[in-house]
Amino acid sequence: MSISEKVEAPNPLEEGLRRRRSPEPCALTIFGASGDLTQRKLFPALYALAVRDLLPPKFGVVGVARTEMTDEAFREKMKQAIQDHARDEFRQDVWDEFAESIRYVATDFADQGGEEHVVQCLNELDEKFGTASNRIYYLAVPPSAIETIVVEMGKRRATDGWTRVIVEKPFGYDLETAKHLNEVVHRHFAEEEIFRIDHYLGKETVQNMLVLRFANGIFEPIWNRQFIDHVQITVAESLGIEGRADYYESAGAVRDIVQNHLLQLVALTAMEPPIDFTAESVRNEKVKVLKALHTPGPKHVVRGQYGPGYIEGEEVAGYREEPDVAPDSMTETYVAAKLYVDNWRWADTPFYIRTGKRLPRRETTIAIQFKRAPHPPFELDSDDALRPNVLLVHIQPDEGVSLAVGAKVPGQGMSIRTVHMDFLYGGSFRTGLPEAYERLILDCMLGDATLFTRSDEVEEQWALVDSMVAPWKRDRPNFPNYAAGTWGPVAADELIHRDGRSWRRH
Amino acid sequence: MTEGVTIRQIEQELGRLRHAAAAPGSAPNLRTSVMTHLAWVPERWVDAATDTLAGMGERHPSRTILLLPRPDDPRDALDGEVDLRCFVRTGEQGQVCSEVISLGLCGPRAKAPGSVAMPLLIPDLPVFLRWRGEPWFGDPALDQLTEIADRLVLDSDEWGECDATMTQLPELFDRIAISDIAWAKVQPWREACAELWPEIGEADSLRVAGPRGETLLLWGWLRARLRRELELEHEPAGEVELVAIDGEDVPAPRAKRTSSSDLLSDQLEIFVRDRIYEEAVSALATVSA
Repeated sequence: MSISEKVEAPNPLEEGLRRRRSPEPCALTIFGASGDLTQRKLFPALYALAVRDLLPPKFGVVGVARTEMTDEAFREKMKQAIQDHARDEFRQDVWDEFAESIRYVATDFADQGGEEHVVQCLNELDEKFGTASNRIYYLAVPPSAIETIVVEMGKRRATDGWTRVIVEKPFGYDLETAKHLNEVVHRHFAEEEIFRIDHYLGKETVQNMLVLRFANGIFEPIWNRQFIDHVQITVAESLGIEGRADYYESAGAVRDIVQNHLLQLVALTAMEPPIDFTAESVRNEKVKVLKALHTPGPKHVVRGQYGPGYIEGEEVAGYREEPDVAPDSMTETYVAAKLYVDNWRWADTPFYIRTGKRLPRRETTIAIQFKRAPHPPFELDSDDALRPNVLLVHIQPDEGVSLAVGAKVPGQGMSIRTVHMDFLYGGSFRTGLPEAYERLILDCMLGDATLFTRSDEVEEQWALVDSMVAPWKRDRPNFPNYAAGTWGPVAADELIHRDGRSWRRH
Repeated sequence: MTEGVTIRQIEQELGRLRHAAAAPGSAPNLRTSVMTHLAWVPERWVDAATDTLAGMGERHPSRTILLLPRPDDPRDALDGEVDLRCFVRTGEQGQVCSEVISLGLCGPRAKAPGSVAMPLLIPDLPVFLRWRGEPWFGDPALDQLTEIADRLVLDSDEWGECDATMTQLPELFDRIAISDIAWAKVQPWREACAELWPEIGEADSLRVAGPRGETLLLWGWLRARLRRELELEHEPAGEVELVAIDGEDVPAPRAKRTSSSDLLSDQLEIFVRDRIYEEAVSALATVSA
């Protein structure tokens, strides 16, 4: 046997080891490190990975923002963020080890030297911690800043090691800007190096949707127009805009939620089974759904804006009274729409979607409503006694799945009531659910893009949203048209009542 | 524990407790199960088993049936106790409850645990059998319980006569899939050894400071994977402190504290036969032969 053959022999000791996937050494650079996302989500997620020993053994983090700060001050700020927002108890030993590799660069990319400072800092991390020139750039910055950073860091990408770019939503403002952004990013990075984040895809229950559908033989045969009457997807928030008027005034509900989260949920609900769970297979199937979405006409889209009202007994201001919001703002805080997926499986089956701020409670659900039993042989005391079966996927809060079924009320006669069979994650798997950002950051370190959005997906999403909002330029609705603490404008109820259906009861 | 109970009484008590556990007017408690967890717990292991159980109910809500053999008890009877372990669901009304059934198998009943456990198994869910201490090879209790379980969970670190028990263990391989908690404990050391490939491909000796069970498993594993004879030098210790191959220390893996509940919980998530483990144990049997 020659030497070269000997070296290439498979390692017999690796067989059956069931090693946990472990990322290669790398340095993570967060642009926008002084922002809310970094403190509330990104550092708590990194800390959770550190607690579970899931970070690479050779790892570094560089925070980049305009605010002047020393490394030490940045570490203190992030320590506080972890203590305030992490899901695990604070452990000094974990923090000490993690904090050692945290750096901060105060820079403005308008300043020509800014990017050089970042590169210099990354080179130092390579030297000191062995991060091997493997780099992740996390762009937690406003859309206007993305292009500059991508271009500058693209020009300076390391020649050794790999580079990955995580881009926060919104990816563009419309189809045209999204296409432009894709072009710019593709000039410097290949598609497999780009990780467009939609944190909904990192949620356990969203991933469970795929398991529910494709790992259970009972659902897929009835997952079609023959058995399903319609689908309702709700992303409801009780919060207002929380001081983000600058962003929200230009985004509105349609760009903040519909373009990304809601359309992703539609795609996951309606997609065909992928041949495997690789990034390309899953995303190919999602794109097919997005391409098949019929453009909704103006009558099938409702928008709204909240006025003053009450949330949990507390009086809250209307949208136009929020700080930094124009008093005559026409930004929508609520959108409902009726969509059709024009394909063999879903033809004529409506997907009702709705999202809004200042709704009575926070809730994200996918409700699959089945057709009624064709001929119940019972004397029912009311039509309501035997309601259609509903498979309800709870995405947040109270993650789980429940199935509404009719059951006989014990006793004389044949009274029927709807009962819920619940599977709640908190009940069956008591391990704390990982935060979406934990899963997504780890997947990016591992190079797995399955739960990230591909360029063609983003463009299909924007194409649909553009067609939804195009008629809005011509009319001027009477805003505000729903009170905070209610389930949205009357027109949204009319949208679904016209079809003889109603929004799910809450 | 109530003396002289029947399975019917156990089932009735389970139903009564489920109703009683919910406060009047509040949401009913959910009974959630992902498996039936059988535990064979001879007298000397009762405390350890109770401690382990306390830490794992929330992670693996299940019906746990503790089988406590008392073959020397003069009575021919079952003693029983039923308990609900409930925990609050975050942000939800009501609680999720797991059931723990303790059954004392007195006198001849200790020879027929299968017929006691079978009526209490939850249909359609996997059955895991945690056997405390050394397996009783040839005893009807082991035969019956491995017949109804999907997976047998052992811990070779619990065995007094570890070498002899290891040589007998392969006779179970074709009857039931086996997990060994000691095998899980040496996983980080196995990973560390694997990093040394191909240099250790022609190793001749292994030195381990650690429990006998884990030491033997490492030894058997290296013999089986490398297809070589290796001399073993063993120093007893509470946990694996040192592994050296041909006199060179294997870099110690990062220390990770794992409770006995976590170790068992990990095993309860595995459903397939572990061929590498079986080959490691079989390699030990070859040595003895």
